[in-house]
Amino acid sequence: MAARSEAVYPVSWKSGRIASWLVTVDHKRIGIMYIVTSLFFFVLGGILAVLMRAQLATPNETLLTKNSYNEVLTMHGTTMIFLVVVPILAGFGNYLVPLMIGARDVAFPRLNALSYWLYLLGGIVLWGSWFATGGTAKAGWWSYPTLSELQFSPGHGQDYWILSIHILTLASLAGAINFIVTIVNMRTRGMTWMRMPLFIWSMLAYAVMLVVALPALSAAVTMLLLDRQAGAHFFIPSRGGSVILYQHMFWFFGHPEVYIMVLPVFGMVSEILPVFSRKPIFGYKAVAFSTVGIAFFSMLVWAHHMFTSGLGTGLDSFFMISSMVIAVPTGIKIFNWVATTWRGNIIFDTPMLFTIGFIALFTMGGLSGIFLAAFPVDWQLNDSYYVVAHFHYVLFGGSAFGFFGGLYYWWPKMFGRILDERLGKWFFWLLFVGFNLTFLPQHMLGLLGMPRRVYTYHHGGLWEAYNMISTIGSGVMVVAVGVFLASVWITHGLRRGVRAGNDPWLADTLEWYTTSPPPEHNFDTVPYVTSARPLRDLRRRLAEQA
Amino acid sequence: MRRKLFLLLVGVVALLATAGVAAAANGGFTPVTPHSPNAARTNDAYYVILAFTGAIFLIVEGALVTFIWRYRGRGRSRTVDAVQVHGNTRLELIWTVIPVIILCAIGLVVFYELPGISSAPAAANPIRVTVEGHQFYWQFDYPNGARSINDLYAPVGQVVDLEVKSADVIHSWWIPELGGKIQAIPGRTNHIWFRANAQGTYTGQCAELCGLYHADMTARVIVGTGAEYHTFVTSTAPAVLGKAEFQGVCATCHGMQGQGGYGPNLSSNPLLIQPAGLDTIVRNGRGLMPAVGNTWTAAQMKALVQYVKTDVYKGAATSGG
Repeated sequence: MAARSEAVYPVSWKSGRIASWLVTVDHKRIGIMYIVTSLFFFVLGGILAVLMRAQLATPNETLLTKNSYNEVLTMHGTTMIFLVVVPILAGFGNYLVPLMIGARDVAFPRLNALSYWLYLLGGIVLWGSWFATGGTAKAGWWSYPTLSELQFSPGHGQDYWILSIHILTLASLAGAINFIVTIVNMRTRGMTWMRMPLFIWSMLAYAVMLVVALPALSAAVTMLLLDRQAGAHFFIPSRGGSVILYQHMFWFFGHPEVYIMVLPVFGMVSEILPVFSRKPIFGYKAVAFSTVGIAFFSMLVWAHHMFTSGLGTGLDSFFMISSMVIAVPTGIKIFNWVATTWRGNIIFDTPMLFTIGFIALFTMGGLSGIFLAAFPVDWQLNDSYYVVAHFHYVLFGGSAFGFFGGLYYWWPKMFGRILDERLGKWFFWLLFVGFNLTFLPQHMLGLLGMPRRVYTYHHGGLWEAYNMISTIGSGVMVVAVGVFLASVWITHGLRRGVRAGNDPWLADTLEWYTTSPPPEHNFDTVPYVTSARPLRDLRRRLAEQA
Repeated sequence: MRRKLFLLLVGVVALLATAGVAAAANGGFTPVTPHSPNAARTNDAYYVILAFTGAIFLIVEGALVTFIWRYRGRGRSRTVDAVQVHGNTRLELIWTVIPVIILCAIGLVVFYELPGISSAPAAANPIRVTVEGHQFYWQFDYPNGARSINDLYAPVGQVVDLEVKSADVIHSWWIPELGGKIQAIPGRTNHIWFRANAQGTYTGQCAELCGLYHADMTARVIVGTGAEYHTFVTSTAPAVLGKAEFQGVCATCHGMQGQGGYGPNLSSNPLLIQPAGLDTIVRNGRGLMPAVGNTWTAAQMKALVQYVKTDVYKGAATSGG
């Protein structure tokens, strides 16, 4: 009997369960890796935050040494900004941009993979610096010289910090160029600029801002490295350098960075809010163009971080006015979002709760920013806990609430199951309450005269009371994040999550046209786009035919 | 409907009452009570901005809460479309222009208050004091050459013009009751002023992360009568200065009696009775110790040498001790 032989196709090692993730150039897998890695660093950075809050709960506490407190505050800031918020938004962008514009992948898939792996490497270098001689960097996330110079920061932590920033800026630049080329060139048929989802507008602005702002940071930290390791003296005044130069270079990057971290979230909110209000966004053009306006003006406001450096009335006035100008397009967005809920059919699923929370908290952060833009008032508030409260309302109440909303919204698309709704609501309310308990009292602490970045304080009374409330709030947020992790476990580990169809939320944009999760090539066909809400158009056409 | 309105009204009144009580007690809802004209004017600007932003806050959050309550789905299906409003140009113009007007108003108020905040009253014949930030103490130089550490003496009712410098890293001078803050930047001189309106001690601390002991870099402004101020600056005995230097500079790391802390125990270190060796280490630092005395005068060093010799040095360590 002749043996029947079947052709054996060799199975490449690349299709292995783990190996397939290591070699992937699929934008969706890269996006998921970005998001998962960012959430991992979010937990690490959060642990550092809780350590700081524990240290500050009572006066003259000795849980952390002053040395480790300075390490922890530097690592918390650097981690949250460079390893959490920017990359998680890159992750959403990676996953969503090709799907939302009806493309098969990003323009340069290999560059995209490189960008992720560089990001991971940058994160490992930064967190590896705990083992460096002399510990991690301790000069704060902006690492002002001369404190960050070799004389005052010996040891290798600062050098690892610089190396990590170099790697991360390369990663972000590669990603940004990819987004720009993809969005400009690869939109599907019919998707004109005015039919582009608002998230895509904001990702385009995000990418352009990264390309413009990052080189200033790379240059600044390169000069710092040369000072430290090659005997240069760009920032050493005793040898003719200028400390103010670093401040300008850093904040020329640093302020656009703030908007880099929040514009994509604006985009997410502009996608989620209409879907759960069963309405179109109020004033699509105003929302889109205000994104462009914010991106442009964000390049002109950097020195409002330097009002106490003694720049002189002329420069202070210019930067006050430019900072107030940027409040106008931001205000337009907030008013348009609020108007979007007007006469809606509002459905309070978890993504919507986070989105509403975002609007409420970001408004607060925006308004406290007006005080800081008025430079004489800033002289009183700058570098105090008021500023800590302000930027956490923007970056946590704003960006983080926004991306948690985005996570709950796009989770079913990414993983095929809807995250547990009951726990999602618990997560939201615990985080909302914990967040306000933590950061609202910090406004008062700043007004009472507590500077930021102090490892302890010597006042009792109100100082102690507000600090204690703040620490309790941070504990509530820990519980909240625990609930989130539990909900992921229940949804996927125990497979209790409801299976999602293509379009569980009856949404408007193209990513919901394909399966959940989408096939590797994204779409078999893409409908011709005739408006900013192609899926709603499709549903209506089907309804008419039926 | 009426009951809801009533509840809302009660809520708002309760909120305002709470806020009012807290503000009256100054529980951190406003900047600290000012004791200098520049601080007072800063607070004026703060209140104006608070009025505008407070109103915007109530309108935006009020509208948000009202809309999401009023237009909640009430179990309606997702498939039920709400009113398909795409925008309203006139409304959008209104909420673009009104913020512009409000911001212009805030800007005008700031520029109105600015001269009274940034520049000292003219023809006030100010006392010029140099403030030098160091890791981790403040050093004050008075017009007659007197020096003090961490405690700045000033006469009440007179303008004190501060020239703020740094000897090492960036620090930030901040006495909340006497006005805003200004960075002490190496290689630059910045200015700030105050005119204390009452005698007393005003405290503050460095506001820019300057290293290990940033949180302990405190300052006091001791405001007395003109005569008290005069007595202080003309009669600084070396022993007083030496003590202030040791307690304000050395003791941060080495302890008040030199018993050691973050830095090593000094009380039996023979270096304390070697003026030249002590001079070198205080001026240049060594290892983890910063160059704390890099701008010190010879008289200042002498005062320290005197003080540590008589008050800190406990004799060489006995063997086996």
